[in-house]
Amino acid sequence: MTPNSSFPITLVFPPQGHFTQPYLALPCLKAYLRANGFDDVELVDASVDAYDRFLSRDELARAARLVAERLPLARYANRTELSFRELAAFRAAAESAASAEALIARVDDAKAVIRGTRFWDMEQYVPAVRTLYHALRLFSAAHFPTMLTPHNFTMRYSIDRSRDVLAATLDEAENPFVRYFREYVLPGLVARKPRVLGMSVIYGSQLIPAMTLGRMIKRALPDCHVTAGGGYLAYIGQKLMQRPGVEECLDSLIFHEGEAPLLALCNALESGASLADVGALTWIDRSSGAPRAVVNRPGMPIRLDAAPLPDFEGLPLDEYFSPELVLPYDVNRGCYYGECSFCTLPTVIGPGYRTRRAKTIVEHVVQLKERHGARAFDFITDCMPPGMIRELPNELLRRDADIRWWSDARIEAEAYTEEGTRRLYASGCRKLLFGFETATPRLLDMMKKGQTVDETLAVAKHCARAGISVTFYAMVGFPTETRDEARATVDFLVKNANVIREVSLQTFHIDEVAETYQHPERFGLTIVDDPDLDIELYHDYVAETGMTQTEAAELFEEMMSRLCANLPLFSGDNIFYFMQKSHYFLHLARDMQPDEFVARCKERVDRRAKLGADATLAPSRDLRVVELPFSHTETRTKLAHPLARAIQPDFLTGRYVENRVAEAERALGTIAPKRKALAYDGDSAEFAELALDGKRVLEAIAKRGTLGSLLEGQSGASRAALERFGGELHRLGLLHLPHARTTTSTRSPSAAATTTL
Amino acid sequence: MKPTESKKPEATTKPTPPAREERKPDAQEPETLNYAELDLSIEKVDERIAPSETNVFDK
Repeated sequence: MTPNSSFPITLVFPPQGHFTQPYLALPCLKAYLRANGFDDVELVDASVDAYDRFLSRDELARAARLVAERLPLARYANRTELSFRELAAFRAAAESAASAEALIARVDDAKAVIRGTRFWDMEQYVPAVRTLYHALRLFSAAHFPTMLTPHNFTMRYSIDRSRDVLAATLDEAENPFVRYFREYVLPGLVARKPRVLGMSVIYGSQLIPAMTLGRMIKRALPDCHVTAGGGYLAYIGQKLMQRPGVEECLDSLIFHEGEAPLLALCNALESGASLADVGALTWIDRSSGAPRAVVNRPGMPIRLDAAPLPDFEGLPLDEYFSPELVLPYDVNRGCYYGECSFCTLPTVIGPGYRTRRAKTIVEHVVQLKERHGARAFDFITDCMPPGMIRELPNELLRRDADIRWWSDARIEAEAYTEEGTRRLYASGCRKLLFGFETATPRLLDMMKKGQTVDETLAVAKHCARAGISVTFYAMVGFPTETRDEARATVDFLVKNANVIREVSLQTFHIDEVAETYQHPERFGLTIVDDPDLDIELYHDYVAETGMTQTEAAELFEEMMSRLCANLPLFSGDNIFYFMQKSHYFLHLARDMQPDEFVARCKERVDRRAKLGADATLAPSRDLRVVELPFSHTETRTKLAHPLARAIQPDFLTGRYVENRVAEAERALGTIAPKRKALAYDGDSAEFAELALDGKRVLEAIAKRGTLGSLLEGQSGASRAALERFGGELHRLGLLHLPHARTTTSTRSPSAAATTTL
Repeated sequence: MKPTESKKPEATTKPTPPAREERKPDAQEPETLNYAELDLSIEKVDERIAPSETNVFDK
């Protein structure tokens, strides 16, 4: 094969995806293209790059200026009430006013903590992660009501409606990626002039950024063919391509597995052949009159075991928010079981099940380890069949691969035996995520899970005894499920919390591919279609029996509260270890046992709860308190109400429940003025709301230097009240012992003196 | 922590300047204050890290 350097290709992972490890599809595509003659393939992870840039001192300073202009706190000073619709803006204004300065000063160090050896110290890790979360809220406030979190990106525009998506790509005030692409991505692309730009769109959160970049590329580089693929587009892509205006952002979409269609597309474009023969492609025909979408025949999947080693070269492997590189690697594609009635993953990857041989997997893993120095692997799989559960660890041990890995798994009682799980642990397996779904046998039957609760628990216990951490996927709101059944599921999970370390709880959703959508009568459902939502993925439904959608959402919150109260990894801010993909795993990868990690989590929470008053307690220099005309607590309490979904898109689906805005406004009403103070401490990265008396006492502590200086001369009830207040501030992270104060702020002392307590 | 109720009457219309007794900590030296008479309630802000905001699906 003659290398072809005259046909530059750029593959982009658009924002927003996880920032802790690279996404696998692009390295797989690059390797396949290179193996077939296209050797000039550039990889761009615009998601982690955007996070890295947004979470920087300069960007946060810019965001703070924008917030001060667009959401000034003074705007609320003389208001007699705040309506439900105004609460999110008030909250953003209040939190930004209190936290901006400290966040600007500390954000770069917080990234350094996550990427360096300080990651392993819980007392440094948790405030650093918290700082990044708050920093993203500040950044988001500058683009209000847009929200960028470590897990999601949403705007006021619905991703269920094509005209909303297209409008969002042009709204620079609220879409931060317009400026990001223009300043940081486009110049390099214009210089490079790729012939093909491909984007991997896995999540709904990537749709608007991907379409934004597509539009900008098509304007700047009219000769560049802009294509996209990935899981999310596999669901909605055909509808999307039929909508007017999409041709301004895209030239084609690739469905299902990307390797063969992308190669065929590049070959066709290079040779000038018609795109009509490229399998699995839907493309815009601009040859005559108005642009129109043409749907080609399906494509043929590749022979997975012959696919080349994924090529990660060019990805910013040092930029991921992790102290250690975790590489994803796909051991198989599709699901060998393929029966679950709620599952539509075949839509993502295409029909059929294919696997690599254990020998191939281990050879690749060893090569990746040598090439990148990576010892930690995320094996991407829907589930491993029983044969592979035996063969893979044997081969890893035979080759002395010395890696640590985690993956999804299906309950296979005959494979996850005591001996089998011990062998898995010996091969480096440290965490498995099983589809548990529910503790109700009747529902397991309806789901066609092919597993029993007893089998599931036995597998989990075997894993736990072997030292493998167990995560369960659980579901609430499956058709006909009752509240009592959902509560029985959480009872089961809590009862077995010494075996089940994490629970990924999801609410039931209906997409157009699922059996529940195709045959709703089998589940007692009536699907609610809204023609205005022309690129909708998930559909509302009415259930004849069992919980309604709203009730399921309420149960979700109830179940999650119980999990937080009973799972040590979910308690308090230990939840960060669950929420940051792979961060808990990295501790396990150092051969820390799950029991030991859980004990550390408990010990940390218990130690903090015991903190009390001490004469040497003092504020950090990055403590800031702002007065508020309305209560921040009251605001966030209303925003946390299930009905508040109406003003924010649902997290998992990105959907707005639009017809409930009015209902929420009626039910939740307004809030009245209440003068309060919001404090933010840069050391602990904690917010707390105080009464104005509390603010003044805190100011007095700061002025005198320590709590002790105020306690002098106090006695009786007055002293006790002051000690209680000081102890509470200590527990909440607003006062610190001298040795507990960090010195990571980059602010100058003189600047601090003018603006903080 | 369990939040304590404010002892001050809540404003029902637009905010008014602090009443004289509310300004006590400002007006008095800290040594002369009776802290038992002040509203020292604190509310922690932590619901933003709800695990419902995570997405572990990553195929």
